Amino acid sequence: MFDGIMLGLSTVLDWNNLLYVIVGCFVGTFIGMLPGLGPITAIALMIPITYSIGADSGMILMAGVYYGAIFGGSTSSILINAPGVAGTVASSFDGYPLAKQGHAGKALAIAAYSSFIGGTIGAILLMVAAPLLAKVSLSFQSPDYVVLMFLGLTAIAAFSNKGQFLKAMMMTVFGLMLATVGIDPSSGTERFTFGQADLLDGISFLLVAMATFALAEALINVVRPEKKEVKSINDSDTPQIGSTKLSKAEVKEMAPSVGRSSILGFIVGVLPGAGATIASFMAYATERNLAPKALKDKFGKGSLRGLAAPESANNAACTGSFVPLLTLGIPGSGTTAIMLGALIAYGIQPGPMLMEENPSVFWAVIVSMYFGNIVLLILNLPLIPYFAKVLAMPKSVLTIMILFFSLIGVYLVSFNTFDLFMMVGFALVALVLRILAFPMAPLLLGFILGDMIERNFRRSMMLSDGSLSFLWERPLTLSIFVISLLVLLFPLKDFITQRRADKAALKASQKHA
Amino acid sequence: MMLNRELLGPSLFLALFTLYAIVAWQIPLLPFEEYEMVTSATLPKVYAGFGILVCLLSIGATLLKPQEQKEEPEQRLDKRDVLRTFGLLVLMVLYSTALEPIGFLISTSIFLLVGFFVMGERRKKILLLASIPVVVVFWFLMTQILGIYLVPGDLWS
Repeated sequence: MFDGIMLGLSTVLDWNNLLYVIVGCFVGTFIGMLPGLGPITAIALMIPITYSIGADSGMILMAGVYYGAIFGGSTSSILINAPGVAGTVASSFDGYPLAKQGHAGKALAIAAYSSFIGGTIGAILLMVAAPLLAKVSLSFQSPDYVVLMFLGLTAIAAFSNKGQFLKAMMMTVFGLMLATVGIDPSSGTERFTFGQADLLDGISFLLVAMATFALAEALINVVRPEKKEVKSINDSDTPQIGSTKLSKAEVKEMAPSVGRSSILGFIVGVLPGAGATIASFMAYATERNLAPKALKDKFGKGSLRGLAAPESANNAACTGSFVPLLTLGIPGSGTTAIMLGALIAYGIQPGPMLMEENPSVFWAVIVSMYFGNIVLLILNLPLIPYFAKVLAMPKSVLTIMILFFSLIGVYLVSFNTFDLFMMVGFALVALVLRILAFPMAPLLLGFILGDMIERNFRRSMMLSDGSLSFLWERPLTLSIFVISLLVLLFPLKDFITQRRADKAALKASQKHA
Repeated sequence: MMLNRELLGPSLFLALFTLYAIVAWQIPLLPFEEYEMVTSATLPKVYAGFGILVCLLSIGATLLKPQEQKEEPEQRLDKRDVLRTFGLLVLMVLYSTALEPIGFLISTSIFLLVGFFVMGERRKKILLLASIPVVVVFWFLMTQILGIYLVPGDLWS
């Protein structure tokens, strides 16, 4: 592990890569601050740039954008109560009241310090957990991968918002179907190309990512503008930044919460499908339950613990979500799914062999996370008042710029206008689906995992002479398969409970009538 | 019965997945695939079957919901916002069509200018400063510094 850390350090300390960490954190913060734009959009917009700079630098840049966007999301949550990222919604519960009380600077400082500690603890745990899991996963075979990917797909659907399980499953299947377009790599048969030569190579991952996130995100803000987004930093009710200093007593009050939430956040982040949003809400709820009576009443009204807990948890969860990506090659979230797609585009197959075959990528990403957290703390915190001006940018300019960068980003990779037409088509479909409240991340996950599932499924079927017995022959495969089925059945429990409650309520109302 | 928002999504997906299934069953198999357990059509068929099942479950779950729960307050879309979005989609198609024939500089400048206008921007200073100079700087960065080829326009070359 020590050699790995040294290798990572030497890669990250290269001037170019250090610059990418800084640029990534800056760009991520900038985009993450804009209401409605999250880390997935930020990373999607950076992908065309990363294609020209190599795998390790590209991953370092994207990782920087990732935690920069989470940090930026906290800023807009605290300042204007408009979270740019779902993972920072919980931060607005106490961050915004603090800002309204005239402590915006303090709230932003708490967010920065908590994120730093959460990210650092996460990075240390990642350094320990990733190599261990990578070693274990070396014994994984094709059947294990099939069921692991199945687990990843079901988990992201099961952890989606309440009542969205079936919608998430539909999106997953849609993503899997899109992955089957083009020439089948095993037999060479054309599938779903409808005679179009441009579809023979399949649909580009970049195109789908840009259309469903960057373009659809920009367009949804046009078709359904939220009142909050109209606010700008110049509005009269937007708080002034003020002092960023924290007292000893305040630090003492928050310290245990930050420690607990960081560990909790990391563990939740490692789980496929969970991620920063669930981690931040869980940390917030845990801290509220653990707080003494006097402090508990402060939650929702500007509690320091209430802000520190979700902030440290969401950053630790971001780091944790890299564990399944780097060790198993299975993304646990939409953001890491985009990174997986980018890695595959570089010609690198993430998974247990990544540490052996591309140690510089593996360790550079891990070490860069630590540097990224330092960059966020040292450079971004003093610049917050200036960053906050971003919120005053006219929406008309911003939306069109996002459309332009998305279109030209895809064009510069393929130099094919057919891709642009297809991208607009996908953006329209994604827009309609967003209006109908369908989640986008499962689609991307299904699309990216589709090819790997098919290859591993075929290999498993060949190894077991065309029988599905590979699912239960090895205890490891069987265990993961059973867990996947349980995850799949989990929302059914909610559905049945809800139905019973509805029936009881209906009976009660009829009796009353 | 009116097709409400909760039923519209699964119904659209049901239609899509059914079409996909029809095409999946027509995937031509190569001679050697005839006796294989897994062919290039196997997983598409599985996906189609599973997708249709999920859609039917979703439609069934919506229909089984008590009546008063179905009528969720829907966020109405403003006609002006819908038209603006549609305008942007058309603009993107036109930009994609014009990019290669008239070149990056002219097409992108027009795209940005018209885009800002569609978004309701009327200040001439912003309209002009956020479009033409941005495009020229971007073009200079790409072609002169990073050495990336940007289409000059088939009509002029």
